[in-house]
Amino acid sequence: MTSVKMVARRPRRRATGWSFVALYVVLLVAFGVVPVIYAIVTAFFVTPVVGPTYFSLLDNFAAVLADYRLPVAAVNVAMYLLIWLPLLLVVVFVIALVLDAKRTRLGALTRFISYVPGAVTGSAAALLWLFMFSPAVSPIGPLLAPLVGANGIIISDSSLPMILAVMGVAIGAGGWIVMLYGALTAIPPELIEAARIDGANVWQQALHIKLPLIRSYVAFILIVSFAAGFQVFVEPQVLGTGARGQVSSTWSVNQLVYSYASGESNYGRASALSVLLLIITVTAAVIIIRKTKFYSIDGRS
Amino acid sequence: MIARLSGRLGRNILLLSALLFFGVPVLWLFLATTKTSDQLRNDAPMSFGSFEQIGIAWSHLIGYNDGIIATWTLNSILYTLGSMVIALLACVPAGYGLAKFRFRGRGVVLFLTLVTMVVPSAALILPLYLQMSAVGLTNTPWSVILPLAFYPFGVYLVYLFAATTIPDSVIEAARLDGLSEWGIMMRIFLPLAVPVIVMVAFFAFVNAWNAFFLPYIMLTDSDLANLQTGLQLLMRNTNALGGANFTGIPIREPEIALAAIVSVSPILLIFLFAQRHLVAGQTAGAEKG
Repeated sequence: MTSVKMVARRPRRRATGWSFVALYVVLLVAFGVVPVIYAIVTAFFVTPVVGPTYFSLLDNFAAVLADYRLPVAAVNVAMYLLIWLPLLLVVVFVIALVLDAKRTRLGALTRFISYVPGAVTGSAAALLWLFMFSPAVSPIGPLLAPLVGANGIIISDSSLPMILAVMGVAIGAGGWIVMLYGALTAIPPELIEAARIDGANVWQQALHIKLPLIRSYVAFILIVSFAAGFQVFVEPQVLGTGARGQVSSTWSVNQLVYSYASGESNYGRASALSVLLLIITVTAAVIIIRKTKFYSIDGRS
Repeated sequence: MIARLSGRLGRNILLLSALLFFGVPVLWLFLATTKTSDQLRNDAPMSFGSFEQIGIAWSHLIGYNDGIIATWTLNSILYTLGSMVIALLACVPAGYGLAKFRFRGRGVVLFLTLVTMVVPSAALILPLYLQMSAVGLTNTPWSVILPLAFYPFGVYLVYLFAATTIPDSVIEAARLDGLSEWGIMMRIFLPLAVPVIVMVAFFAFVNAWNAFFLPYIMLTDSDLANLQTGLQLLMRNTNALGGANFTGIPIREPEIALAAIVSVSPILLIFLFAQRHLVAGQTAGAEKG
């Protein structure tokens, strides 16, 4: 990337450069930058139950952090991430390594099928997994028997981290498997051949040669998944609609923000909490950009 | 010999369980549309009902609320195509401009593009909602189309393509021939960039079609819902998911499953036919690591 040369340095082309990016920059500012600034500003205006709105640097943040629902939601999301992220990594790496160890027809089929659930996303996915965890209609009904609560329902506040984790693996693993498989096939065959001649069996090749070479993907998959999972909203919202009354409407932190904004019309608190969430997610994003090599621009990473 | 056999057995068991884990839920969704609600509960889970039942479920779905599902489908198409077209008009020149010109502010634009690309869209949706309600655009199609048209990933893909595969000498030659800068983009760059433009169009399409959180929060009018949010309305306003059917509306599990399949069908088709390109896009950037 260091070899990329810029065509023009003459001043008259500066304006031309801007004319190309103008429409995009308008969108970037209007829908990427302004909402963030607007949220930050709104976070400083407090709407009390009685009396006029007033300005305060800390009141909204203090109120949000003192809200008893926030630690509950934070623990829910943390539990979900703690189950989901390790499970995702293990499934993705094990399947990719097994697929690469020996190319068979069954392997090719698995690779393709693992990708299909990724097409069923959003509310359709939540609906599908609502069915999968409904004992009456689920294809794995008997397996679910030990999980069914006294009311005959599995989905609840406390079972949701596990359910979301399984769902997340089913939907997201396929894409990563195909990506890692691609990275594995790019390893020079001479390298594996040399290891084989030195007496390394298939397991040792996978563990000592291939795994270290694709290790850089661990951080990438982890941070991307963390940033997405941290903001979870759609799945608990839709599962909650299906399993009526079983899931708190403020189960995840983002749902709590939504509840401030739409249920309580308290935009100041909604902004304060979404700004706090944004700080964490943007930090994760900047780490990906700066510390991993996955997105590089002009040779600097 | 035994070790090798057991190794192969272990491998096949692992692959088969993966196959079941990933395959069964989606297959079940299709089979569910062939059965009645009672059959779903009492028959073997992965059994096939009948093709007639799909037709019955379909007519129930079409009949719901004077065929509102058709409105939702049209809305989905409008939001998706509208945002895709604007995204392309913005992304293609921007990616090219960022790759081939050096101007003040370029670094900032690039950095913000990367950050907004990596930050999950859910993080920005509530701030966007506050902004849209401040300017009175909520509950209009624009509140969904415009934010979806901001598609930094598309800019990144075009930028990578222009920076790495279009030699500056080609542009310089066209310049000497007297073409204007926009002329060079239209007549030299565009024809070469067709593959990457198709890829951006395709990702923007998938992204917009799958949007749930944004329309869910921006649009309160059920006539404005897209298929993704419509599906949720369908669940909420009927007794589709278990329990007695107090509403008397013939929307039950099979109809809901059918609605789910309708809502993801374009994406499912794209997945089946363009798997390779989707992966190529997912790993764009990653391969340079």
